[in-house]
Amino acid sequence: MAELTFTPVIGIEIHIRLKSDSKLFCSCSTDTDAPANTNICPVCMGLPGTLPVLNHHVVEQGMLAGFAMNCGIRPKSLFFRKSYFYPDLPKGHQISQCDLPITTAGYIEVHDADGNLKKIRVHHMHLEEDVGSLHHSASDGRLEGADTSYVDYNRSGTPLAEIVSEPDVSSAAEAVEYVMTLRRRVIYSGASDVELEKGMMRFDANVSMKCSDGRWGHKVEVKNMNSFKALERAIEYEIKRQKKIMLQGGDVIQETRHWNDAKGITSSSRVKENYRKFIVEPDLPPLYISQEWIDRVAARMPEMPDVRANRYVNDWGVPREVADVLTDDKNLADYFEACVAAGANPVRASHWVRTEVLRVLNEKGQKISAFTVKPETLAGIVARVDGGTLSTTQGREVFDKVCAEGIGIDDAVKSLGITEGGVAGNALADIVASVIAANPDVLDEIKSGKDKKGKKLKFLQGLVMKESKGQAKPQEVAEAVAEAVK
Amino acid sequence: MELYELNLWMLMEGLKAGKFSASEIFTSCKKRIDQCEGEIHALITRTDDTPQSAKEGVLSGIPTIIKDNLCTKGIRTTAASRILGNWRPPYDATAWTRLKDAGAVLMGKANMDEFAMGNTCGNSAFGPTRNPNDTSLVPGGSSGGSAAAVSAGYVPFSLGSDTGGSIRQPASYCGVYGLKPTYGMVSRYGLISYGSSLDQIGPFARTVRDLQIVMSVISGHDKMDSSSFRDKPHDFTHNEKPSIKGKKVAVVKEFSGFTLDAPIADAMKRVQKVLADEGAIITEVSLPVVSKYAVACYYALAMSEAHTNLERYDGVRLGYTVKDARGIKEMFERVRSYGFGAEVKARIIAGTCLTEPTRCEEYYVAATKVRTLIAQEFTRAFGETDYILQPVTPSMPGRVGESDDDAMKGYEADLYTLPVNLAGLPGLSFFTGYAGGLPVGLQLIGPRWSDSELLDAGIILENHLGGPRIANGGVK
Repeated sequence: MAELTFTPVIGIEIHIRLKSDSKLFCSCSTDTDAPANTNICPVCMGLPGTLPVLNHHVVEQGMLAGFAMNCGIRPKSLFFRKSYFYPDLPKGHQISQCDLPITTAGYIEVHDADGNLKKIRVHHMHLEEDVGSLHHSASDGRLEGADTSYVDYNRSGTPLAEIVSEPDVSSAAEAVEYVMTLRRRVIYSGASDVELEKGMMRFDANVSMKCSDGRWGHKVEVKNMNSFKALERAIEYEIKRQKKIMLQGGDVIQETRHWNDAKGITSSSRVKENYRKFIVEPDLPPLYISQEWIDRVAARMPEMPDVRANRYVNDWGVPREVADVLTDDKNLADYFEACVAAGANPVRASHWVRTEVLRVLNEKGQKISAFTVKPETLAGIVARVDGGTLSTTQGREVFDKVCAEGIGIDDAVKSLGITEGGVAGNALADIVASVIAANPDVLDEIKSGKDKKGKKLKFLQGLVMKESKGQAKPQEVAEAVAEAVK
Repeated sequence: MELYELNLWMLMEGLKAGKFSASEIFTSCKKRIDQCEGEIHALITRTDDTPQSAKEGVLSGIPTIIKDNLCTKGIRTTAASRILGNWRPPYDATAWTRLKDAGAVLMGKANMDEFAMGNTCGNSAFGPTRNPNDTSLVPGGSSGGSAAAVSAGYVPFSLGSDTGGSIRQPASYCGVYGLKPTYGMVSRYGLISYGSSLDQIGPFARTVRDLQIVMSVISGHDKMDSSSFRDKPHDFTHNEKPSIKGKKVAVVKEFSGFTLDAPIADAMKRVQKVLADEGAIITEVSLPVVSKYAVACYYALAMSEAHTNLERYDGVRLGYTVKDARGIKEMFERVRSYGFGAEVKARIIAGTCLTEPTRCEEYYVAATKVRTLIAQEFTRAFGETDYILQPVTPSMPGRVGESDDDAMKGYEADLYTLPVNLAGLPGLSFFTGYAGGLPVGLQLIGPRWSDSELLDAGIILENHLGGPRIANGGVK
């Protein structure tokens, strides 16, 4: 009997916090780090008699996010009430576009196991409001063992985009590439900063397995992944778990499972999946989006990272691998382009940004947005190395000095004792003379013809180079020493 | 004549002419409330506003009462439910803000059926209100307290809300005028929701002219309510001699076979004659979908919306709560079990069932489609007529406590009022006269946004039929 093979069938749901100063249905600030319950009002507290009013800026942010996933915009979408009881959900229902979303379908491209491009279809993206957050009084802040729970409604009503993929993902690696690419594109669009450490991106995955013998396992919804790593591990775990069950001839139970990051396992959610129903939100009229509005927002869409990387490769000859690194972070790519705009050679500048700038940022634990060396300054250093007035090594030293002390190129050159253009002519002759004067025995040996292999000659050249602090050209040093020992 | 007996426009003119002061009006109304309130119980909360603190405006120093489902900043607002406890809203409903800014003085918050669910004013956690014309009878509901207060002369005008007849029916039972405006005419911001797509705030008064005055103050766009209209304000200026000559007034063909109490049937005939004498053309329209499906459609939608509107009452943020619950589930259960009355619970359960995933298509979604048909039917009907004349209710008011047992009877009694809410139309409940000492009201309906024309027609009817007198108010 042939060995059974399994194909994972995975769909991913992503929640992204959209960038907006004010909440989705009221004018409260979206600063969730503020002291608890300070950014709240009767509307986002769901007080009796209050009504939601749609924030049109958030609608535009949603449109940008949709464009980033190659989605179309629906001319008419609706809001619904999604009911469930939870203390951090003030109205007892969440206002969500779940049933008639703002976007139509789209896609994100990833690489499959063979390295070929593959489209992961996005079923739709919709707008919805976030809930508040719970704080439990147990010593570890968790629910178990807590006497009291406190609710902070600062997050209540902050705008979210929910992105639902088709079950086109076949591996944990594809899942990670899908969410990373999607995140990068959304950041580029300006719709969200998607700061992972601030919980601005959360994942759920629907995982099922197709067996080569024709069996198809039930779908399992895995929740509670807040990082790329967690998503990857949870999917890998679930694939292994389901495969094992199916190999033993068992049935995978359709259920919701919870990812436990500390233990590295998924476990059956003890809480029954909340039974949810939708009615049309009667307090909000349908959202109509005209073609004119779509065009206006679409005009704000910046170049997407893949298009940008292609331009670097095709127009400027930047190596593909470097172009990908630069465009991974929009701000880094912007920095690189500013260097080029300031006159730097694109290929050289791309290497400099990729190696030197990233090295310094890593050392400092800094983001490019906080980097103090202006692109014009880096362009200046690159130009001098390019023009030969600084060696590559000197260029690096100058760059480090500029980074460390925040000074200009000329000051850095001076303080490093570098003579631009190098030691040559009379200066070089002086050094050669003094080196020879200090080593009469070596000179004698050479003159006597014993230095057949030229070792002593090399030794003198080395001393000269050292005296010149490496600023002399090797060829010139060799010639000057040879002349002096004649 | 006591000042409390004067209508709103008379009080405004008297104040302007310096015939009396706002303090005198206030004192007179206060005395009248003291005199009747023990018997009528129109109020849940009496407030201590005074004319001295009133703002300058068209209603400067005029006392008023508003239904207790309208939020009042710092003043207990209950929606006649235990679940709101002693909640004092941190904000004012827009309609109340507009009255306050115009100088109105709040005398109290009116009793109602809990969360506006009911048509007797008997489903109140604070006990029933009685009809000021005969205290053994119900005042109607849900805005029974607001209607009774105007009828008994507590105040010259009041505000109520109408989801399926909650202004028009108590206005008719109590013998006052009540307008359910076009959906979107008055901001709902601060109105504690029952059926959000049906709810509308409107005024009660003892003259149609007074309704015009109040509408000119409370109507208009509010950016806090996305369903409030955005066009230019409507003109509610009073015209003493409006004309209905050549206009068509229709009765509904399908309703002709339904039984009406004799005084109501008589009033229908009398009013048609009055209108015909004024030059109106009496005609007939057909509303087959309305007559067959409106009641079922209405309750399916109202209950579906209501149960989601009431999900927010969980004891976490406001109102009644329990301190010793173990776990959030127990807390929710105990708060909602004690906090809600029986009728509210029944409608929450019905709404939950009607929208439950396996039934949602069959009930809730189907009802939304029927609603569209009903709206289209009215649009067609208003292509053939300018107004529709019909009863408010098929019967005269029942006795206090009587109709509470048979819920379905109560639901069906709303057939004449609730189609108006389904189609978002304006409906005027007007006084036609007395029968056996009890007021008899009828209803005139117009197309959407015809509110001011509807009130003009109301002026004609009032001129011919005469206005109501102040009800005895249970005074022995």
